[in-house]
Amino acid sequence: MNRRVPLSEDARVNSATGGGLLPWLSWWNAYALRETLVGYGLILPSLLVFLVFYYGPAIFLMYIAFFHWNIFASQSTFVGLHNFSVLIHQPVFWQSLLNTGYYVVLVVPVTTLLALALALLLRETRNLRGGGLSQALVFLPHVTPVVATSIIWVWIFDPTFGLANAVLHFLHLPQLGWLSSVHWALPSVMIYTVWHSVGLYTVLFLAGLSTLPKQVLEAAQMDGVRGWMLFRRIILPLISPITFFVIVLATINTMQTFSQIYTLTGGPHGGAGGPAFSTTTDSLLIYQTAFLYLHFSLSSAMSLVLFALILTLTLVQKLIADRMVFYR
Amino acid sequence: MPSVKLKAINKSFGQRQVLQHIDMDVGDGEFVVVVGPSGCGKSTLLRIVAGLESPTSGELWFDDRLVTQVPAHARNIGMVFQNYALYPHMTVFDNLAFGMAARKTAPSEIKHRIDEVAQLLEIEPLLHIRPGALSGGQRQRVAVGRALVRSPFAFLMDEPLSNLDALLRERMRVELRRLHDRMRIPTLYVTHDQTEAMTMADRMVVMRNGRILQLGRPEELYHRPSTVFVAQFLGSPPMNLVSVKVLPDKRVALAGKDPQGIPIPARIREQIGGRNVVWLGFRPERVVPQTHGAVEGLDFTATVHTVETLGARYHVHGTWGESPITWVTTEREGLTGSIKMKLTVPWDRVHWFDAATEERMVSPDRESIPVQVGGTL
Repeated sequence: MNRRVPLSEDARVNSATGGGLLPWLSWWNAYALRETLVGYGLILPSLLVFLVFYYGPAIFLMYIAFFHWNIFASQSTFVGLHNFSVLIHQPVFWQSLLNTGYYVVLVVPVTTLLALALALLLRETRNLRGGGLSQALVFLPHVTPVVATSIIWVWIFDPTFGLANAVLHFLHLPQLGWLSSVHWALPSVMIYTVWHSVGLYTVLFLAGLSTLPKQVLEAAQMDGVRGWMLFRRIILPLISPITFFVIVLATINTMQTFSQIYTLTGGPHGGAGGPAFSTTTDSLLIYQTAFLYLHFSLSSAMSLVLFALILTLTLVQKLIADRMVFYR
Repeated sequence: MPSVKLKAINKSFGQRQVLQHIDMDVGDGEFVVVVGPSGCGKSTLLRIVAGLESPTSGELWFDDRLVTQVPAHARNIGMVFQNYALYPHMTVFDNLAFGMAARKTAPSEIKHRIDEVAQLLEIEPLLHIRPGALSGGQRQRVAVGRALVRSPFAFLMDEPLSNLDALLRERMRVELRRLHDRMRIPTLYVTHDQTEAMTMADRMVVMRNGRILQLGRPEELYHRPSTVFVAQFLGSPPMNLVSVKVLPDKRVALAGKDPQGIPIPARIREQIGGRNVVWLGFRPERVVPQTHGAVEGLDFTATVHTVETLGARYHVHGTWGESPITWVTTEREGLTGSIKMKLTVPWDRVHWFDAATEERMVSPDRESIPVQVGGTL
């Protein structure tokens, strides 16, 4: 047989005649096996890191959520749903859920709308002098470390000497207690979060806007479609995949917010999450339960609840998106 | 009565001048094709008429209305874009309806107009699907429909057929032309394809480097190109051009060999005047084998190199002296590589161009055919 055949065919021919090295590979083939092995070999290092530091702990968490587990004791006892029933009877847990909901419901829409508005504005001004600089300035907060800039914002929110109250004073508005007020502490965190994250979503929207087909916009121009109608009927549908992505990303990010709450509400105001648990969100409570009160099983149960919530929310968003998002 | 009139239009992008003193018009019910190589400014010209760009100077008139400063949507123009530019997220119906809805046309009127256009273009079965599910030809038709549905004052088409495959392009060419013959809406059509231009145009405009080189009926431009560029741009295979020396006795000779030269008729000698070197041009399909005394023309001997078979005819590539030339024949017989052939081109089919300016040297006995020369020529 002098005919040149691809390796796979070669292997099949060999196995059929029984002359190959690996006759049992007749249904698969040596080439595909090699491809597969090389492929897995290449992703193995990062897969290992993921398994050890990500999936491993996650699976372990699911395990101890149903046990009474103590970091100092070698024994752990199965308690079934006991941890969850303890949670249900903890007012602070419900408070944290409420706080998280309040936080997400306000931060996600505000960030998304603000990012879209900024992106539209930056797109209009991109060819003007300083257009590029404005883009950089909007994105800049996102690249700063949360803990460092949170400390700056603690000063801004300082009721006596802070910039925030100085601005309110200048505008002849009543001054606020900001982080020390039960009512304003969580909104203060929201303001910080919007400031820190809006740049990222703005850049995502800008990328989306830059893919708008130029001739379609010109066709709309010739159709006499302008202003709000152009935005509502042409631009918004065409960037809907980006909008969906931004909303999902923002939801997941805000539901997991931890660092800024910890930094902004800790420090001079005592333990983080205050005053009076007004800024205690799910993720903060998870952290405190585990590493402050050392109730690892309880905090694992909470993590599972948060995980279920994020998953459900994302699925709901996906369902809505399937009806509203237009993919080109 | 011209419908669309461009007066001394100039356009610069920064330092770069892309249109220089464009004077032209599209008559009532006329189909005018602007043709030229890429970068010649033809698309910019169209965009200025559409209102998507504004000219640096000059005037644009629609009938007796000066529209230079009028925004695009108020010009009542139907435009067909190169990639169709349909709204991808809307059904065909909504694509057609959108512009009218933006103008607050009554829904019943919208429906009526769309039904009419859909019937005309045979796109009724497509009305409720999105552009993504359409073939290239169908999208093309929808794009035409969207431009047509508003009863535009004029049609603008920017290389509308360039995204279609060759066969479909030929069919759409005929369809668009037939549609024009029915509707008689003044049309300005931009293309880089000279075949499209020749076949579709009532009048055509050849552009290069932001200037109009020549405008006129396709036949005029083909048979009486005003410059070497126009001569070579139109026609496939393009016109043969040979540089020849003018001998003291007013014969012409190929550069290099051929010392005795070719005697030329007296009237052409007058035209050549004192020039030493001229371009001599002839179309491949005007070359015929020499038959003794039958035609008086440019007699020469060419060497055959390759023969391309096209079915109905053959393109023969060879050389005359050092110059490569091409001619067309329907007879394959005896045509083999490296044979020598005695050929002739009737004198009235030979074009003469000035070697320095590359402009046509007009023969007196053909002065009667009117040729409009535009731009700065």
